[in-house]
Amino acid sequence: MKRRKGTNESLMTKAGGELDDRFKLAGPARVLMNKVFPDHWSFLLGEIALFSFILLLLTGTFLALFFDPSMAHVTYQGSYVPLQGVGMSKAYESALNISFEVRGGLIMRQMHHWATLLFMASILVHMMRIFFTGAFRAPRETNWMIGILLFWLGFFEGFIGYTLPDDGLSGTGLRIAEGMTESLPFLGPWVSAALFGGAFPGDEVIARLYIIHVFLLPLALLALITVHVGLVFAQKHTQWPGPGRTEHNVVGFRMFPNYVMKQAGFMLLVFGVVAAMAGLFQINPIWLFGPYEASVVSSASQPDFYVMFMDGLIRLFPAWEFRVPPYFTLPGVFWPGIVGMGLSVLLPLVYPLLERRFTKDRAHHNLLQRPRDMPARTGLGVMIIVFWLIGVISGGNDVFAQAFHISLNAMTWAGRIGMVVLPIIAYYLTYRICLGLQQHDREVLAHGLETGILMRDPDGRFYEVHQPLAEPDEHGHTELEYSGATVPKKMNRIGVLEPAERGFFKSIEEPEGEGPRNRDEIEAGK
Amino acid sequence: MSAHNDDRRPDEVDLSDPKLSRFDVYREGLRRDGIEIIHYEPRYAKPGTKVEKRMERIVASMFLGSGLFATLFVVAYIWWPWQYDGAATWRDPQTWYTPILGVTLGLSLLLIAMAVLTWAKKLLPVEELVQDRHDGGSSREDRRFAESTVDTVVDDMGLKRRPFLVKAALLGAAPLGLAAVAPLGGLIKDPGDMLTVTGWNAEKHNGGEPVRLMLKDGALVRPDMVSTGGQITVFPAIEGGAGNEFASAPTLLIRLRAQDAEVLRENLYPMYQDSEAMWGDFVAYSKICTHVGCPASLYEQQSQRLLCPCHQSQFNVVDNAAPVFGPATRHLPMLPIGVDGDGYFYAKSDFLVPPGPAFWNRPSLPEEDEQ
Amino acid sequence: MAASAKRRRGWRKRLGALARFTGALVIVGGLYSVFSPSLYAQEADDSASAVDSEVVKGQELYDTSCISCHGDNGEGIEGRGPSLVGVGSASVEFQVNTGRMPMAAQGAQAPAAPSSFTEEEAEWLGAYIEYLGGGGTVPDDLDSLVENADTAAGNDLYRVNCSSCHGYAGGGGALSSGAHAPSLEGVTDEELYQAMLTGPQNMPVFADNQLTPEQKADIIAYVQYMVNDDKDHGGVFSLGRFGPSTEGVAIFLVGISSLLLATLWIAGKS
Repeated sequence: MKRRKGTNESLMTKAGGELDDRFKLAGPARVLMNKVFPDHWSFLLGEIALFSFILLLLTGTFLALFFDPSMAHVTYQGSYVPLQGVGMSKAYESALNISFEVRGGLIMRQMHHWATLLFMASILVHMMRIFFTGAFRAPRETNWMIGILLFWLGFFEGFIGYTLPDDGLSGTGLRIAEGMTESLPFLGPWVSAALFGGAFPGDEVIARLYIIHVFLLPLALLALITVHVGLVFAQKHTQWPGPGRTEHNVVGFRMFPNYVMKQAGFMLLVFGVVAAMAGLFQINPIWLFGPYEASVVSSASQPDFYVMFMDGLIRLFPAWEFRVPPYFTLPGVFWPGIVGMGLSVLLPLVYPLLERRFTKDRAHHNLLQRPRDMPARTGLGVMIIVFWLIGVISGGNDVFAQAFHISLNAMTWAGRIGMVVLPIIAYYLTYRICLGLQQHDREVLAHGLETGILMRDPDGRFYEVHQPLAEPDEHGHTELEYSGATVPKKMNRIGVLEPAERGFFKSIEEPEGEGPRNRDEIEAGK
Repeated sequence: MSAHNDDRRPDEVDLSDPKLSRFDVYREGLRRDGIEIIHYEPRYAKPGTKVEKRMERIVASMFLGSGLFATLFVVAYIWWPWQYDGAATWRDPQTWYTPILGVTLGLSLLLIAMAVLTWAKKLLPVEELVQDRHDGGSSREDRRFAESTVDTVVDDMGLKRRPFLVKAALLGAAPLGLAAVAPLGGLIKDPGDMLTVTGWNAEKHNGGEPVRLMLKDGALVRPDMVSTGGQITVFPAIEGGAGNEFASAPTLLIRLRAQDAEVLRENLYPMYQDSEAMWGDFVAYSKICTHVGCPASLYEQQSQRLLCPCHQSQFNVVDNAAPVFGPATRHLPMLPIGVDGDGYFYAKSDFLVPPGPAFWNRPSLPEEDEQ
Repeated sequence: MAASAKRRRGWRKRLGALARFTGALVIVGGLYSVFSPSLYAQEADDSASAVDSEVVKGQELYDTSCISCHGDNGEGIEGRGPSLVGVGSASVEFQVNTGRMPMAAQGAQAPAAPSSFTEEEAEWLGAYIEYLGGGGTVPDDLDSLVENADTAAGNDLYRVNCSSCHGYAGGGGALSSGAHAPSLEGVTDEELYQAMLTGPQNMPVFADNQLTPEQKADIIAYVQYMVNDDKDHGGVFSLGRFGPSTEGVAIFLVGISSLLLATLWIAGKS
């Protein structure tokens, strides 16, 4: 046994030596393997996007083997009976063939689509985490901007992917995009003619979008994701405040084996969730939509959820058109469609700079902030979320109207008014809630934990016994400074920062059995 | 990595000391990366206890379970009937093909994920380490070195001493940059009349002969083919008229009830009165929404509205299809129609205003601006 | 089971159609007989009384349940209910059998509901309205027409004529100001045919001169195939076939929330 182990070790050492001779790896490999990462569930949200992207590359490559981005006219002869003999583009035919004639093609298509939705949804959730905890502050503004660009690249990549099958729904979406393009002052008709090779829809646009979808945008996404992750790596991850955690250190565990194993496991988990969803939930049944025909449309025509916000804005925008007859028209869709989208890109992009200007805070920050400690920013964030949600809901307001028997016109008006009023209310409420939470934290620090034990003093008055967090002064007050970290609110949460955290949502108090053994013992055991 | 790693600190361990254990060397490596162990202990105080063995068995069974489901996936992929044969009720096994693939693959992935994660969570040592973070730029020295290097390079090239050369280089490179993107000019096409002329234009598409109305299957349209309160989608009866080549041509031919037609005749814009755009109780509106171009074809024959399903613009059929709700700002252009000697509908002319979404130099008529 | 119900319905319908047909003949005959009483009196007597009784029964029902909105002799009342002269029995049977009529309250649109009449009573009402002035009727051989129909042709017609309101997947859709196009799920062949033929409420009319009975049968065959037979190819759940809206909800409720739980399990919570 022992001998064999020895051979193994020497083999490893030998191989390592050979590699190091050539690539000088020993130093960098050690640095990499020992790098310390902080551990918190909210730091895993961006990974969902990363892993969905990997899955998108894999499934997308499979689909590309069978997809034919051609708008040549063919007559369908495949096995889906209700479309037999119908004229369609080759792109749509090959998308149908992936669904019906390619073994396992449908599960791949559905995985690709679900992974897209997961990619965009997780970017949003990740972005909210970064925003509310102030992780975008110096020195990480660049990475925030890259993240915003990644969202928008994903937005267009997803929209183009929705367009490629050339089915009835995607053609309708493309038509709307064309209408928005036309609305550009002075350039509109020329840009549209350039994109479609003449009049809409022409016979070139699918091939052009295809090369963008499978080459240009994935390349840009891949490059930016690499920089994004690389910067997190180089700048070291932010961490939550807590005992022993400062602006100048990282507390956590090593990259190898702990972090890498958790990441690998989580990646497989993301893949598994997408695969299971793709098997259980039908998505984008293109065979129902038929080929794109300019005269055909369906009620409840919607884009995917990440585009629905734009669609909602366009639906809600009033019928305002600026005209200087007979020479000039500024179509109404220009405002929500072009200006709205432009602002949606630009404002988030420069937000870190704006906040820096307002708070005049130019310092570097590696400790995160609790959302309650920045009521104005948290309020703003909730405001934007409410605004966005109203846009999304309005993007599907016909589905809502139909499903819940509400008047469509009432939905539109509710959206128009709600979009102006509700974000303001949301801001105010969030601000107040943040202040309330702050105050409660300060109370606990000053008076101690509420124990739930009621006592009655000799005068007959009731009072609750508080367990102070530190040695109280003669008034029963503890002068603890708020450190930006979680303040324990329950008696069994005092040991909140124990490294051996157990239990799913709450820590289970674990009686200290043998206690941590000292290093000598561990070493002796080896 | 960075400079500090190479700084030899006084408390450095002498690596030549033969008494050093593996852990001492390891810890020294950590120390040189600015890492300190604050907590490190095996997950199970005594190796090989029942609890630990149990956990190992759980992880192992999850790995094996994952393999089992992966095998099931492959087996199902190969042998489960998959070919769609025109029916997909729950009784057809091929309906279950995709769900089975998804569930077996999903379970296989979930199990292997759980195995790896449980291994990491339950079997790896409990650890907590602190690493120094060296934030905020390079050392003063490094900056000085870098600065002098850049300055030397600039000086060597003489960028400051030779301003003419710099300008010449810029002047030369700018056109080259243009030349790099110029070939994209191949994309540029004169939009010409693509937004203003449709398939209904007799001169352009039918040799001057008036264009008749046809159904999607090519049948020409007679007045008796539409019932009162009915609507029908019509296309220009030209080569490929119902195809996407003429994407702005689709038109909705509506036969109104007599009283509704009367209301519309009273409301008719002057340009449509002049061109006698209606024929009897029939009216034809462009199907392409004037907002962003979806087919606005949800005809409500009692409330006399046309709804566009994309952005919910609503048009009043008995008032020139003027917008009454939603984001659309212009009426759906009316196609002037008549019935020829053979009893077929034909278009008297193309649309009088361009159909579909607006663009900046869209010609507008005074009638429209009154709205 | 469904097939036998269908057969039963078909049988009843055929019987009803026969009765209506003879009824119409007899009414005409009856008018004739006023002028030439000797000519048909003998032969038509039995069936005449049967049909008369159908129309009479229909009128009785009409006078109790419909007259308040649709007025005397189906002439309509301004602002309450439209005239029913000329709408025909197919329209009446559609509206009554789907419970849309009588309307519970004036509103944007009469919703489908459990019918308050038996099918027989609906036929009587239909006979009465048909007597006031005829409209289209459902062909007797609809079942065989649908059986021999071409779903691909039906699909093409469906997308041009129907999908704009009822949706690609037949789930229905919202119209202006609270009106909506209903879902096509669970709708019978006859109801589909009657609806196309008569254009109930806001639905445009697709009379036989516009869509031939064969084309209507094609559409019916496609709708039944798509909505009822070919439900969920490619998944166990179709998410209501609402398209991207419910897909977006699903990715958050299923995908993101399950992965959030996973992150809470995997990583620390402090």
